[in-house]
Amino acid sequence: GTGGSETEVTWEDQQNINKFGRLNNRFHELEDEIKVAKEAIDNLEDASNELILTDEEVVRFQIGEVFAHVPKEEVETRIEEMKELNSKNLEKLEEEKESVVAQMAELKKILYGKFKDSINLEED
Amino acid sequence: VYPPSKSKAPLPSSAAHSSHQRRPEKPLRSSPCGSSGEIPSSDLISRFVKQSNMAAASSSSTESPKTTTERRGIPGAQFVEDVETYLTQTGFDVNSALAFLQERLQQYKLVEMKLLAQQRDLQAKIPDIEKCLDVVATLEAKKGTGEALIADFEVSEGIYSRACIEDNDSVCLWLGANVMLEYSCEEATLLLKKNLENAKASLEVLIADLQFLRDQVTVTQVTIARVYNWDVHQRRIRQIAASSPSKDS
Repeated sequence: GTGGSETEVTWEDQQNINKFGRLNNRFHELEDEIKVAKEAIDNLEDASNELILTDEEVVRFQIGEVFAHVPKEEVETRIEEMKELNSKNLEKLEEEKESVVAQMAELKKILYGKFKDSINLEED
Repeated sequence: VYPPSKSKAPLPSSAAHSSHQRRPEKPLRSSPCGSSGEIPSSDLISRFVKQSNMAAASSSSTESPKTTTERRGIPGAQFVEDVETYLTQTGFDVNSALAFLQERLQQYKLVEMKLLAQQRDLQAKIPDIEKCLDVVATLEAKKGTGEALIADFEVSEGIYSRACIEDNDSVCLWLGANVMLEYSCEEATLLLKKNLENAKASLEVLIADLQFLRDQVTVTQVTIARVYNWDVHQRRIRQIAASSPSKDS
């Protein structure tokens, strides 16, 4: 930073800075995970829509690396279950993200309060 | 006030290091059913440890609450209470201190790349194991019904063929290294579940390692900035002192 002012960095400050760094990393990870979860839900939506349209009795449903022949009703049930799972997961991720953002805002207040211009906590 | 540094034997990181077997790198990806053992330590970490031992002679004792000495071969970054005391104690001048810290930072970055790669591998391996568990579960479900399971599988890119899987009790698991073993469905499920747990546990340890590493990187970066600023401040003071006319001539 510019001014060689003698605002000393205490261990507590260092720990706050460390925590901010960790939260920031987690924030980006969460954004990626949320994106993946949303895509999965979209795909499942598309799949169940296709199911409604099709008039086949047996559907090829992917299990592992193969496509097993599964009766339509069973596929419908499975897709509903997967949608439930993914929605719950997405909800959890969104909650964690909110918490992380809130914690980062708190830390910003504290750190900018002490160091003002000598510290930069923004995304480049 | 800076805790007095006791001159001590080099940090015991080599002891922690050797308890962790050094194996040649195995590609974890190829065998979801193979053993997902510990994360092998590497030459990078051992090189890191040797250099940190050289600097360790003057760094603070392990009892200092402000330095986690090391974690699995990664040396902790020493927190500097006061720049001036730090420089006097280590005997560094500003430039060598900055050079030392920069080098540390590079080493940390290298280890971080490595750990990130391992993390990616593990994160890919876990869904693989889960898929295998799915298949075994499906086979087991079909067992009672007497129906055969019909499935389309990929023979080659874009080419699929139909398989009719009759009722049977066993599956073959690919263990890696060109070895495939036949297991009963229950045993297979147990083995896969165990591997899944191991993989998840390894992933947790890895993530904790990465967090520790990132903290050390942050501490080092802050220290570099502070040493640099202190130096600028000192130069300014000297300049002012030099340019002000002497009062008693």
